[in-house]
Order: sequence, then C-alpha cells, then structure tokens
Amino acid sequence: MIRDAEGRYWEEGQEVFETPQAAPDPKPWSETRVVGTRRMRVDAYERVSGTAEYPSDLLLPGMLYGAVLRSPHPHARVLSVDATAAEALPGVRAVISGFTPLNAALRPHEQLIRETLFGPVRRFEGEAIAAVAADTPYHAHDALRALKVEYEVRPFVSDERDALAEGAPLVHEEGNRVGDASTYARGDVAAGFAEADVVLEEEYRTECQIHVPMETHGCVASWDGDTLTVWESTQGVFPVQAGVARGLGMPLSRVRVIGKYMGGGFGSKLSMGDYTLMAALLAKVSARPVKLFITREETLLSAGNRPPSNTRIKAGVKRDGTLTALDLSATGTGGAYRAGGTGGLDFLVRELYRCSNVRTETQDIYVNAGPARAMRAPGYPQAAWALEQMMDALAEAIEMDPVALRLKNISLVSQVRGRPYTTTGLEACIRDGAEAFGWEAAKARAEATRDAPVRRGVGVAAAMWGAGGGGPPATVILKLFSDGSLNLNLGASDIGTGTKTIMAMVVAEELWVDPDTIQIEHADTGTTQYATASGGSKTVPTESPAVRAAALDLKKQVLEIAAAQLGVDVATLALREGKVVTTSGPSQEVPLARLNDLRRRGVVVGVGYRGPNPEGKMVNPFAAHFCEVEVDTRTGRVELVRFLAAQDSGRVMNRTTYDNQVHGGVTMGVGFGMTEKRVLDRGQTGRLVGHGWTDYRIPTAMDVPTSLEVLPIDLGDREANSTGAKGLGEPATIATAPAIANAVHHALGVRITATPITPAAVLEALAAQRQESTR
Amino acid sequence: MIKSFAYVRPTSVDDALEMLGADGARVHAGGTDLMGCLRDGVFEAERVVSLRDVPGMRGVRASTQGVTIGALTPLAEIARHSVIGEQYTALARAASVVGTPQLRSQGTLGGNICQRPRCPYFRAGFDCRRKGGRICYAVGGDNHGHAIFGGVRCHMVHPSDTAAALTALDATVVAVGRAGERRIPIGDFFVAPSVDPTRETVLEHGEMVKEIVLPPAADDQRSSYHKEGHRRTWDFALAGAATALRMTGGNVAEARVVFSGVAPVPWRSMAAEEALQGNTLTPEVIGRACDAAVEGAAPMRHNAYKVGLLKGVLEKEMLRYV
Ligand SMILES: Cc1cc2nc3c(=O)[nH]c(=O)nc-3n(C[C@H](O)[C@H](O)[C@H](O)COP(=O)(O)OP(=O)(O)OC[C@H]3O[C@@H](n4cnc5c(N)ncnc54)[C@H](O)[C@@H]3O)c2cc1C
Repeated sequence: MIRDAEGRYWEEGQEVFETPQAAPDPKPWSETRVVGTRRMRVDAYERVSGTAEYPSDLLLPGMLYGAVLRSPHPHARVLSVDATAAEALPGVRAVISGFTPLNAALRPHEQLIRETLFGPVRRFEGEAIAAVAADTPYHAHDALRALKVEYEVRPFVSDERDALAEGAPLVHEEGNRVGDASTYARGDVAAGFAEADVVLEEEYRTECQIHVPMETHGCVASWDGDTLTVWESTQGVFPVQAGVARGLGMPLSRVRVIGKYMGGGFGSKLSMGDYTLMAALLAKVSARPVKLFITREETLLSAGNRPPSNTRIKAGVKRDGTLTALDLSATGTGGAYRAGGTGGLDFLVRELYRCSNVRTETQDIYVNAGPARAMRAPGYPQAAWALEQMMDALAEAIEMDPVALRLKNISLVSQVRGRPYTTTGLEACIRDGAEAFGWEAAKARAEATRDAPVRRGVGVAAAMWGAGGGGPPATVILKLFSDGSLNLNLGASDIGTGTKTIMAMVVAEELWVDPDTIQIEHADTGTTQYATASGGSKTVPTESPAVRAAALDLKKQVLEIAAAQLGVDVATLALREGKVVTTSGPSQEVPLARLNDLRRRGVVVGVGYRGPNPEGKMVNPFAAHFCEVEVDTRTGRVELVRFLAAQDSGRVMNRTTYDNQVHGGVTMGVGFGMTEKRVLDRGQTGRLVGHGWTDYRIPTAMDVPTSLEVLPIDLGDREANSTGAKGLGEPATIATAPAIANAVHHALGVRITATPITPAAVLEALAAQRQESTR
Repeated sequence: MIKSFAYVRPTSVDDALEMLGADGARVHAGGTDLMGCLRDGVFEAERVVSLRDVPGMRGVRASTQGVTIGALTPLAEIARHSVIGEQYTALARAASVVGTPQLRSQGTLGGNICQRPRCPYFRAGFDCRRKGGRICYAVGGDNHGHAIFGGVRCHMVHPSDTAAALTALDATVVAVGRAGERRIPIGDFFVAPSVDPTRETVLEHGEMVKEIVLPPAADDQRSSYHKEGHRRTWDFALAGAATALRMTGGNVAEARVVFSGVAPVPWRSMAAEEALQGNTLTPEVIGRACDAAVEGAAPMRHNAYKVGLLKGVLEKEMLRYV
C-alpha cells in the first residue's frame, strides 16, 4: 500500500475519471500574444530571494524533528528493538517501532506500524526499523544511536544478474522472479530475420541512477484534533492525501496536504513516502507538529531510483534500411519489492520505428536493494540506450547514414496501440534537427581526425514518450475580483517546471490581462480542486486546457455582464487590456473594475474542466538528439562539444521554461550516460558503496555540453487538446545518453554498451580494440 | 548528525599544542575534510581545536632560502600566488584543481596533506583495515578507484593533489609538538600501508603541521601538475602527475615525477625519472618514460585502465615541456 506500486500511468494512460464537460473544447489558438513568448517565472523573485517557503523550510510553534533508524543490513530479521535508553534521553518525545509498546493514540494503527512501516523482515539496506521525534535534529539522532536492535542477519543478493542463479538467496519466499516475464509479440520475428540482409545481436546494460533532488524527501505533519495537515515535498498533493487517508484509515476530508513549493522530485515524489506516515504518527503520539525530512544518505538508499537494466536486442534490416524484425529480452530489478523494475523497458522497441515483426520479453527480478520509483521517463532512457545504439550498428553494417536509416523507418501510427498519432514529429525532429545541427559537415569534420590522439565524432538518437498527452480529470477555478485582478485556483503542483507561469500565460492569453495580476492558489487539497500528480510529462497538456476552459467560462460571464450594462449584443464584445470593448458598431468600452454587476457580487467565478482526448488517436511527444564529441584517446576523456535537442512537444507555451526543461533533461541524460552509477557491494556486503555526492556523481556545470541548442518542432497539433501542447520534461532526457554513445563510437570505432561512459570505460574499450587488432 | 564535541580556539602555538595533547583532540584548519569525517562517523572527536586564531600560521613568505607556506594558508591563495605560480607551478596548479572554488577558499594546505582517505569503504560504515578492521573491502569489492601501486593491506589512493606536487618540488614539512619542532622531508612524511595501514602521516598525536618549506627553485626548473577525474571538476584524481624538470639546452638535467591517484602515498617514479634524465624530450624518450612509469603496476579487478590513463597523463604533461 505504501510502496510505489507499478504505477502504470506512463504506459496505459492514468485511470481517468470524467469531469463534467462545461462546453465543447475550442480549437487551439491560431495566433497568440502571450503564449509562446519567453516569460520569466511568476515566482522567480520568491525562488531566488529565498522567500519561497519550501516544506523543508517550514517552522511551526512547538515543532519536533523526526528521524528514522534504518537497517544497516541488506537482509535481516529484526528480533527486537529496545527503546528504553532512547526514550530516557532528554528532548526525546516519541519513539515508534515494530516492538515498542503503543499508546492509546497509536493503538488503532498497530498493524500499520508492526507489519508495514516497521515489518519484522527488512529486505534492503535502509529499510525503516524505528522512528523518533525530538526537540532538535541532534536530539533525534542521539536517540537513534541509543536504540538497541537485535538482528538475525540473512543471506542477501544485491545484483539481479546473480539473483536467478541456482541457490541464490531468496528475497521473498516465493522466489526472486517478480511474477512471470511480460511478453509482447506482433508479426513473425523468425520470418523477419529470414527476410533481413543483416542481423545483429548485442547486449546492453544501464546502471542504476538515483533521483537526488535538491530537497530531500519529507514533510511536516500537524494535527488539529482529528484533522491532519501535511506540508509535503511532493509532485502531487492529492495522491499524498489519498495515501495518508488510506494508511491511517481516515476520510479524505480530514487530511489536508499542502505542497506549494518543492525542491525536485523527478518521479520519486509522485506519492507519499513511508516518512509521511511516520511523521503523522509521531505527531500524533507526541501531540506536537513533527518535521521529518530524510537525510541525503537515506535518499540514496530508500527513496527510489531508475533501476539497472540488461537488454539483449536482435535486429534485422534490409540493405535499403527497412527494419524487418526486432527481438528484445531484458531483465531489470525494482529492488526488494514490486516496483516496476522493468516498466517501460521494451516500449520503444515496440513503438518507435516501423517494424512488422517484434517480440519482447522482460523479467523483473527481486534483489535486496532499495525499491525503484518512477524516474523521468521510467524505462525509456534504458530502452533508448539499447535500441538507439543498435540502430547505429545496423546503419554501419549496411553502410547507411544513421540519420537516413531512422528516417526510413518512421511510423505515423502507434504500432502498439493501433491508432494514428495526432501529430508525429519524429521525422521532423530527425530531419530538421540534423539540418540545424549541421550533421553532414560535422560528420566530415570528424572523419578528418581519425588518426589524431584527440578524435571527433557525431551521434544521433531519437525518442518518443508513451505518455505526455495528458487527459482528464482536471478541474480549475478562475475568480475575477471586483478590481479586475484574478485568482487562479488549481490543484496541480509546480515541480519546478514552470507550471504556474504557463497557466498564468494561458489566462492572460484568453482574457487579455497582465499575467502579473493573477494570483495563483495551487497544490492544496484543502482549497484547490482534485488534480493528478505532476508526472508523466502531462501537467501542461492536462491542466492548460482546463485553465483555458475556466478562462473562457469566465469571459462569457463577464461579457454578458458588460453587454447588459452597455446595452449591446454580447457578440460584439471582446476583452482588451483589462477592458471590455466593442468590436463592431459604435465604439464603447468599460474597464473590468467598472462592471457594476461584478462590483455588486464581488466575484465572478469561471470553472473549467479537462475534456477527453481525441477519440481513436494517440497523443505523444517525440525527440531527436544530436551530439558532437571530442575524445582524448590518451585519457579517455569525452568532451561534449556541441549538443542539439529537437523536441516535438506540440505548442511551445513558454520558450523560457521550455528551454529550461530541455537543458535539465539533457543534463540528467548526461548524468545517466556518463557519470552516475549506484554501486552496491556485490557479493561482499551488499551495501551501498559511497554515501554522498562525492561518490555518487551528478554532472556539474562543467560536464554538460558547452553549446546546447534547443530546437522546438511545432507541427500545430489541432487535435491533441485545446492548447495544442504535449509533454516535454521526460522526452527531453530519453535520447541523450545514446546520442553520446553513438558519437563516441563514431569517434573511436568502439562501442560502449554499458553506462556510464567514464574515462575508464573509454580506455578499456580502446585497449580491447587494440588487442583485437593485434590478434 | 555529528556527535557533540567541545570546540576551542587557542590563540598561540603553545596553547594549541596544549589543547591538542588531550585524548580525542583533533585539528580543525578549514574543516572541509574534518567535518565530513565527523558527520560520516569515520572517526569521532571530543575536542575540536581550531587553528584559526593562532598567529603566524597563514601566508606565503618568499626569501632566498625558498618559500615558506603557513599550514593554514588557503589553497585559493596558493593557486593565485605569483611566486608560486612562476617558480613552483606544479603546486599552484595542484592547488587550483582541488575540489571546487568553495573548497579551495576554505581548505588549507596543511589540511590538504593531512586529509583522510577518500576510499568509499573507509568513508562509509565499513570496518576496514585502515580503521583497524581485518580486511580491505576494495580487494573483493568495487576497486575502480583504487591503487595500482603500493597497495599492501590497504589499497586506497592518497587523495591529496598538493601532496604529489610538494613531493615533486622536494618540500619539507615543519611539524611542531610539545617536544619541539621537527623538519620532515616530504618523502618521509607519508606512511605507506606496508608500514602501518591505519595512519597516513608520521605526525604523532598532539603534533601539527606548522608550515611547509619549498627549497629555492633553480632558474631552469619548470614544473607542472595535471589530474584526470571522472568529472571535469569536483573530483579526486583517478590519476595525476606532478613533474619538475630542469632543462639545459633541450636536455633534461634532472627530473622528478610523482603520481597522484594511483597509490596510497604520493608515488614517485624513479624509473620514469631515469628514462628522462640526460635525454632530449623526443616522442621516443617520452614513450619510454611512460612505459617505465607503469612498470610494476599491479592493477586490481576494476582499475587496469589506470595503467593506460597514467601513461596518457604523463605523456600529455611531458609534451608541455617540449
Ligand atoms: C567535496 C570535496 C571535494 C574535495 N576534492 C578534493 C580534491 O579534488 N583534491 C584534494 O586534494 N582534496 C580534495 N578535498 C579534500 C580536502 O577537504 C581539501 O583539499 C582541503 O585542503 C582540506 O583542508 P582543510 O583546511 O579544510 O582541512 P581540515 O578539514 O581542517 O583538516 C583535514 C584533516 O587534517 C588535519 N589537519 C588539518 N590541518 C592540520 C595541521 N596543520 N596539522 C595537522 N593536522 C592537520 C585535521 O585534523 C583533519 O583530520 C575535497 C573535499 C571535499 C569535501
């Protein structure tokens, strides 16, 4: 219940609940004044000046600090927890574990505490054993040190490549396979391979990547009688509300979750964490507000990750570049619990390129390690790493340009779902991207460095994202105050992507008001309307049509009020710069603040709902990334000289935050491809090796491409939704790593099939190449 | 969370030594390494003795006798000091590639050569040999960052960039303790794990580094330092080379070659020095020096690449002198 379950929204489209349709959706704008411009974030000042209050900043009177004791063993049974000494320490106000006696306040939650939060068998290093609340963080950590725990240490397996071997220790009694393999097939792969001129087979591996958001995971929990308020660093206040209500057996109406600012989640904060329930329980037993934010080390161990993957692809192609068959088998691990360890891993192979014969098989495996959580396009960067390198290898084998090979295999329909896309930017991303990048010239430049110690190479990789179309439900309320200023009320979280700014721009577009006059109330289950979590790159395509609908609803009422006041036909009226004006007949105008009916009522309320997605069509974003590298063959250092990201995410809503998303996506892709790797002490202690940012390396400003160009591809999608926007955050990270790998291959003639491409990996590949050639 | 400790700030060398004599006392210079060690439980401190207010321990003094650098001198100051930049380039370069700008402003030279190892096993809660335990976890575990030379009992690599440069420049460490002052040639300052795997320097408890002395630089001396890490900044050396050469008429009269990132102590390569000495820096000579440098390397399971990397780093450094 409290685990991130398979959360399949990124594949199937989140389960949808229809909201009432206020009016049929209008067509997207054909011309815009505000939408599509570069606009600074509406909360930029708050964010950079430090006045923005993140949940971890919150200080409440009487607030205590929580801390969690976590298992130091990858697999152990907890025999006892003795809290006597901890409880006796000064400043310690509450201790809960699977063993400590429960007072009256906690008794109703006995099962939750004893079996779920602090269950007797701990299956990964960092799984919770007890939690404390104390006057200061120091007191809390002293209390953790004073807890006496007896363990029965059990054998473990920390690597999925070892977990299916005979005699491997079992993570769960039923075995280390997470159910049967998932399979998919269309056409006849054997026939496809028979038809091919060239068949290649290769194995690829990607390492486990960790989210490492700047703000760690946690919340502040405070009770007022039977009502609980939680300020959580989250991507979705409503999923947290639902999780807490379910976990504590409370009605939704008694759980209020607020999450106005948050310091990054990347998928790891789509739902509540075990820390949320612990904070609520600690607050309950101590009768004080409790702040519980986990430490950086705990995030590395227990707050999710992008699982490692092992993918074998066999592919067939004809000399003319036609793909004839794709066969994928892959394993992955979501860690010690069912957490979608192979989710999304085969989707690109099934979907990205036209191919009639496809077979895939993925097997999720349990290991004694922290569970996965959705991470920026779950499964896709791993899949692209394999598929896009294979495409390059095929191109080389048939002596075709890698751009040309990809262009040869574009599909205009979703082959998995049997429906056409509303718009398919794949071709434009590849073609226009190659042109803007100067592909041919860069390729020629690279060829000239073949014998130099520092060699150049270029690489391309393409991507699509299986979600990113958004959809219902979304309910948005827009209020016009008597002075003409506005309040926009929506439930969605702005996870740093610029959601609030874009929504204000949509209102400004429709009502011709200054975006800065719009106050935004959002991400509060107590005061805003239900919204799904901001994830799946669906927030803009989900919320912006609802915001537009709310603005249109409001506009209609305002114009009616004005029509009555001015005694003209409503059809002759329009909004211009904070005024209602006539567009035909005798010229008349009235400022919004002078609308008598508005002043009498004090407010006019517009309501907007998200309508359904187009029947029989798929709405998906596409991308192509291009990279030029310089590789020093003596040191193995790869320099990213130039990078271009062509993205089809439909309409560009705000060019500034659009570019920001792509820069962030590419940076994360550079980390995935070149610097990041979770190291577990395989076969020895099974524990995490390297506990901070010195060992878990995220790219610095000096590691990202010196020149990073963003090329928006907007095909003018008139069907996707009423704003024409598709998702961007995730599709911006999928193709990055394989584009780099392909460029490195182009430079050196060696293929690095496992992430990360470190100096060590490059030097090892070069050494193997040398050995090969002297043999 | 750090366990509680007493924090004291003596105002004279004598007071500092007095305070450092107590059990569980630790020197606090810039604190960039110390605080991380305390927070991660690498070791504990009962008393943290800040040297900040001890007079005379900070700054660079140049004279005909060479250059004396106070132990408390921030790395940033060393990196931009004109005399060091011109006459002891290797040290200026080493100081300028330590960590990040913040770390260089806060971190000191004394702290840099006395910092504890960065082996992830040592730093996390592993009871390894350097902590008095029974095994070196790097042997059976992840050893991509570990030693290819001198790994005996413990296979960590010495983390300091400046230590390699100071070794190439033949520095002397001046230590003070209650028993008085001693001048330790830098080559004797670091302790190899074959001698004692639980300590990195010969400093005794209660002793501290007061200053570091560089001998006068010969007119024809040039030096350099370069390291390669995983990232372009904020990373320890996977392999680095400090070199100091005296050239007469295109010939190498004298050479010092010291590596970082490949051994538990700054690793001086006499073989490479010999290959260079008396020769002109032709590609063949450089190639021979690079081959000589890695002779006797004993890579572990994941770090064979360091052999090639070290050669690459040395080759590129040598080309600077051509
Ligand atoms: C993120 C990060 C990255 C880093 N990257 C690098 C790097 O790339 N290269 C590198 O070389 N280093 C690196 N360091 C290590 C180091 O912290 C700094 O280089 C710095 O120079 C240490 O100096 P300090 O004054 O802060 O030392 P402190 O933290 O004050 O002291 C370090 C240790 O030395 C002892 N000590 C300090 N001064 C004396 C003295 N005068 N006498 C006796 N003992 C003393 C202390 O007791 C302590 O054990 C990094 C550190 C961090 C945290």
